[in-house]
Amino acid sequence: MTASDPNVTSPSPATAIEAGHSLWQDAWARLRKNKLALASAFIVTALGLLCVAAPWVSPHAYDAQDLALGAAPPSTKHWLGTDHLGRDQFTRLLYGGRVSLMVGACATAVALTIGLLYGAISGFIGGKLDALMMRLVDILYALPFTLFVILLTVWLGRELWLLFAAIGAVEWLTMARIVRGQVASLKRMEFVEAAHALGLRKRRIILRHMIPNVLGPVIVYTTLTVPAVMLLEAFLSFLGLGVQPPMSSWGSMIKDGADRMEEYWWMLVFPAGAFSATLFCLNFLGDGLRDALDVRASKD
Amino acid sequence: MKALLIAACLAVLLVGCKKSADQPAAPGGSGAKADPGFGSGPAVSPGKMILHRGNGSEPADLDPQIVTGVPEHMILMGLFECLTDEDPKDLHPIPGVAERWDISPDLLTYTFFLRKNAKWSNGDAVTARDFFEAYKRMLEPTLAAQYAYMHHVVKNAQAYNEGKLKDFSQVGYKVIDDHTFQVTLIGPTPYFLSLVNHTSWMPVHLPTLAKHGKPYERGNKWTRPENFVGNGPFTLDQWKVNEVLTTKRNPHYWDAKTVKLDGLAFYPISSSETEERMFRANQLHVTETVPLSKIPGYRKNHAELIRIEPYLSTYFYRINTTKPPLNDKRVRKALALAIDRASITENILKAGQIPAFNITPPGTGGYTARGKFSGDLAEAKKLLTDAGFPDGKGFSPFELLYNTSESHRVIAEAIQQMWKKNLGLEAKLLNQEWKVYLDSQRQMNYQICRAGWTGDYVDPNTFLDMWLTDGGQNETGWSNKDYDRLIAEAARTGDAAARLELFQKAETILMDELPIIPIYHYTRQHLISPKLKGWQPTLLDHHPYKHLWFE
Repeated sequence: MTASDPNVTSPSPATAIEAGHSLWQDAWARLRKNKLALASAFIVTALGLLCVAAPWVSPHAYDAQDLALGAAPPSTKHWLGTDHLGRDQFTRLLYGGRVSLMVGACATAVALTIGLLYGAISGFIGGKLDALMMRLVDILYALPFTLFVILLTVWLGRELWLLFAAIGAVEWLTMARIVRGQVASLKRMEFVEAAHALGLRKRRIILRHMIPNVLGPVIVYTTLTVPAVMLLEAFLSFLGLGVQPPMSSWGSMIKDGADRMEEYWWMLVFPAGAFSATLFCLNFLGDGLRDALDVRASKD
Repeated sequence: MKALLIAACLAVLLVGCKKSADQPAAPGGSGAKADPGFGSGPAVSPGKMILHRGNGSEPADLDPQIVTGVPEHMILMGLFECLTDEDPKDLHPIPGVAERWDISPDLLTYTFFLRKNAKWSNGDAVTARDFFEAYKRMLEPTLAAQYAYMHHVVKNAQAYNEGKLKDFSQVGYKVIDDHTFQVTLIGPTPYFLSLVNHTSWMPVHLPTLAKHGKPYERGNKWTRPENFVGNGPFTLDQWKVNEVLTTKRNPHYWDAKTVKLDGLAFYPISSSETEERMFRANQLHVTETVPLSKIPGYRKNHAELIRIEPYLSTYFYRINTTKPPLNDKRVRKALALAIDRASITENILKAGQIPAFNITPPGTGGYTARGKFSGDLAEAKKLLTDAGFPDGKGFSPFELLYNTSESHRVIAEAIQQMWKKNLGLEAKLLNQEWKVYLDSQRQMNYQICRAGWTGDYVDPNTFLDMWLTDGGQNETGWSNKDYDRLIAEAARTGDAAARLELFQKAETILMDELPIIPIYHYTRQHLISPKLKGWQPTLLDHHPYKHLWFE
């Protein structure tokens, strides 16, 4: 880290001796000690890879029905049983995971892009524009966001990518606020003033000094947005507004399972289990990242 | 933070569901665990004999001249009374507002003698004039009532309805005096006395309509609870949209002493799972249906609560025949042949439904259709190839519309897969809430849509006269001159056998052209509290409320 960064040069014995550590190396070192976060990252990655590889992993097609078989409990042929139309649950779980994880990634990317741009502009320019932009965010905050997404999906239609966009479009607000707050406080920091005094250009100041300091909270918030977005998709699918049959998502599978849980427990337990596990892992990972990247907290 | 909060909420939600569902013994589990009150429904006490029933969807309207659906029919049966009423056991026509009637020897003129003590819920007398005005309203072209064709059996009614005749005095309704009403028909109509107790033949109180809007246009506010006037055993009490619709006793009803219930409550629950949970939590006496997955469990463990009754109704898909490629009858037939109906009735529905290869349920008024469509998968593929879509190539994905309901979705998913597997065609599923779905269907804003047709009376005509060119319930854009001619001829034919023969020919044409894809003939499933008495299995699933009581 450059000497101008106050966070790293403050008098801590460890960093005073090993002067060559960057912020990212420090963060990684801290994250590595957090076994729960590491395990979570591993599980999510493994599950993600499994979902991507679904067509090669599973011998069944996700929409192949066997009406005569109907809902059958787990067996050697169908590892997680079959659903009410005789479709293989394991396959549908993997394909559903694709949708759920993809929603998590894409909608978060949409939220990240809008939020980062909006917040950075608002924070960096400041003044009246900042006030105006933030009031707009306040107004959007006041809208019941689930209702807003439902309206968007009705208005825009039922295409999957529109669902991603609709969810992303309501999830960027918090991101914008975080970024704006960070940028606004950073630009008054001594090291930024020092950079100004040294005659550095605005662009260099932003790239070299601002972005690395903003990224920490952004990454943390992103890992927390992913599960929120997945939940929203699950909720919409639960209401029948999400993915359309025969495609499945974890949310729609949980709905099907919840309707029949007394007769066919396996239809609820497996998708709900996979979904909960993923949400827990992402939240643990988010927590771990926050601890690792929040420099100030770690020094107290 | 938000994520965690939502995660916590979902967890609570899931746990919550589980809990409420686990409390009463699961029907699939051991029946011995059942708590003593299970299935008894809401408590009733003298003076508070309210029948709580699930009613599927939120009613689109309560105007008898406008409604078309079964949920609305179930409510209106309590709010209005027609010239004739239905026998609670077999639905044969019995005196309603009319205490007796005369039929002319040529079977063309019916004279109804109205009882003098029949009253509206505001205390006004029900007169022949009220029926006259209601039927005039039904036929007004400005109202565009879909069910107006139910009156086309009356002399000149069709011409007036279509705007070809301006003078209503030439239509076959006649007010002889306050309590005598005469109807002249175009042909002998053996089912006429059953026809007149249909919703489309219910009277309305025209002064009330005139007070709350334009009487001959849609959107009149007279059906709001504070404005409503009816002549049935019950009158409208509250209408909380998407929550409950309640009725209370009509103190002016002429036969009020026969009425044993104090009120009816209709719950618009489109999810049969929710409905079944409400029944188990003793919130309903009668459910509208039973979830597919729970039928076997109830049949095994709670046979006293479930009723599976024959039902004069057919489940089918309408096809919008005005747009390519579905305007090609070869494509329609290929779609119809690619559905494995037996697999649907045996593996999904499991309640005695019969696979349908024609529209009229077997044995309707002594008629069993000969004109069924037939063929195998190879023929379906050949037809599709002939139509220019070998193996489904070049056939763009089409939409299959259904009204929001779990069982419709399951069937649609099964059929979607059959079309994909058997023909290589891609269907997208689209669900809409009941009112929106009815509108889409009426405006023909669909490609293929799920539909069901329940007989309005027990005669093949009720399943066949709806497919006439531009018929109010046709909604497929299909038109066939020969078909129109045969149905019109049947309406004028007095000889019973010859009449049924005409229907046979007509249905053969219908099943050759296939503007609809029949799927199965229904059975009706209800969960019923053993406390409720007087509930008879009837073909039309009508259960006149004044003959029901609690014990």
